[in-house]
Amino acid sequence: MVRIRLFEETLAELYRRGRLVGVVHLSIGQEATAVGVCSALQAGDQITSTHRGHHHMLARGLEPRRMFAEILGRAGGYCGGKGGSMHVSAPAEGAVGANGIVGGGIPHAVGLGLAAKRLRSGHVAVAFFGDGAANQGVLYESLNLAALWQVPVLFVCENNGYTEFTPTDAVTAGESIAARAAAFGLPATPVDGDDVLAVSGAAEQALERARAGKGPSFLECRTTRWRGHHEGEESYAKPYRQPVEAVDPIDRLERALQAAGIDLAGLRTAVEADERAGIEKALAAAEAEPEPPAERAFEDVFA
Amino acid sequence: MTEVSAPSAARRLAPALADAIAHCMRDDPRVFVLGEDVRIGVMGPTRGLFEEFGPERVVDCPISEAAFVGAAVGAAVGGLRPVVDIMFSSFAYVAFDQLANQAGRLRYMTGGQVAIPMVLVGSAGAAGSNAAQHSEVPTALFLNAGGLRVVFPSTPHQAFWLMRAAILSDDPVVVLHHPALAAARGTVGPDALGLGEAAVDPPGDDVSLLAVGLMAQRARAVARALAAEGLSVEVVDVCSLNPMPWERIVASVEKTGRAVVVDEGRLTCSVASELAAGIAERAFDALRGPVRRLAVPDVPIPFAPNLEAAVIPSEDDIAAAVRDLARA
Repeated sequence: MVRIRLFEETLAELYRRGRLVGVVHLSIGQEATAVGVCSALQAGDQITSTHRGHHHMLARGLEPRRMFAEILGRAGGYCGGKGGSMHVSAPAEGAVGANGIVGGGIPHAVGLGLAAKRLRSGHVAVAFFGDGAANQGVLYESLNLAALWQVPVLFVCENNGYTEFTPTDAVTAGESIAARAAAFGLPATPVDGDDVLAVSGAAEQALERARAGKGPSFLECRTTRWRGHHEGEESYAKPYRQPVEAVDPIDRLERALQAAGIDLAGLRTAVEADERAGIEKALAAAEAEPEPPAERAFEDVFA
Repeated sequence: MTEVSAPSAARRLAPALADAIAHCMRDDPRVFVLGEDVRIGVMGPTRGLFEEFGPERVVDCPISEAAFVGAAVGAAVGGLRPVVDIMFSSFAYVAFDQLANQAGRLRYMTGGQVAIPMVLVGSAGAAGSNAAQHSEVPTALFLNAGGLRVVFPSTPHQAFWLMRAAILSDDPVVVLHHPALAAARGTVGPDALGLGEAAVDPPGDDVSLLAVGLMAQRARAVARALAAEGLSVEVVDVCSLNPMPWERIVASVEKTGRAVVVDEGRLTCSVASELAAGIAERAFDALRGPVRRLAVPDVPIPFAPNLEAAVIPSEDDIAAAVRDLARA
């Protein structure tokens, strides 16, 4: 979580200084959902993610250096600089990828789950998506297929309260997103998305179920978006500056561990120093990367 | 992958598509079929597969085009080789994000980290008073979407070999078939036809007639009829559109110096437009007259039989255009 926080804060600073190209959606404040779910995954499992997906990728174990390189449009990025911030992908490392279209990756997870089931690989697929995707028809079509086919898929709705530039409540009818999913006859649970231990506990249970052949599950992880929809706009960022401190997932984990009697003396400072050094080194290495050679623009359209 | 034995069998077009899928399913357990009403194979290309391969590999789907096309993308990335039957290719509009933005983009956007070996098969064209939403020929949309291979066989031989090539390809391939050709007879011969190849039949010297799908069948009839008038027409059936067989097309036009292109899509930015532009760029010096385009005018396909017939290029329309150009 500390690594994600520092990675994203570094991007915010790079954006402020005009050193980023394109649009960047940060996940600050949402670290616990990504880390909680990904901590329950194994090698060979796959995740699909969203336009706001850096935290999923880092939680899945992707390297900050190659992440930075991709976001900066450099040759050494995971996609060779052809994806960028919204589309980081590393299938070999269990992250089929982020997706710029809201809801676009959800049916892919169903297909990945179907392949895992058919090939008897024992792997699972996780679809990360936001509350915005909860109003895309493809989510419900995908839930229906997953429930019918009993595929090993975990649907993770990361409800951060904002659908781009609009409060989610203003555009989302009904009791809850989890309640909508429950209608398909699969376990659908609201989870405190800022409590990494609660998220990992719920994810472990759901993934154990999936691996046992008992089909898909759904988690609605309720969290808070601290920044605007993307860097450079703060339409809903400012009002949340105050309350967010109370729900900071990193602070909450620290408090929970202290309450459990675990001695953390100096640990957070040490972790932060270590991670900061790692992030700085990763950024420097990424910035030293060359641009992709021009001919790369014409490659990889077809196999 | 075992070599397929030469079929050399009399076949109709839609069963030839099913034959090719069955061949591939026998050879490769990763190949499976999903889509709307594929168990009974209502549109033809999947008929009979359920009886041989069962429910694990012939998967009936709800009418959720976006989800099952998207699931096919995920399954392809995950190591399977899905064949999606979407019934009418115009139903792909409902799933266009998954087709254009996902299947057609992910290999590129990931810098080549994934391949999407999937096939989307759907009918294209007017079968007789199905009206505008079930009679489209959206070939040009699939071509312009980018990242998709596109084929449109017009004979059982082409159907068998192009479907087989589509399933063996590591790219997403759209296989179109015309409902009015589903029962077209022919012999599936042993000479394999691959992606990127055209079918020249008959050869000729005076005019190149380039056509796709049902229009190719009409073009062949026109060529036979005009032979009786002493006109030697070469029909180039552009049954593969991505890759486009430019070399074969240009060779034909350089020989005849005249080109008529016929397409059942709407004229604006149609396959006919692309062929005409490509010929003008590649073979301008050989042309003895302007390239003529025949296509559906920029209207939807109407319901009433006489109106439907009025907007789709007929054999008379094609023959008139060829005669006209031959005199130029």
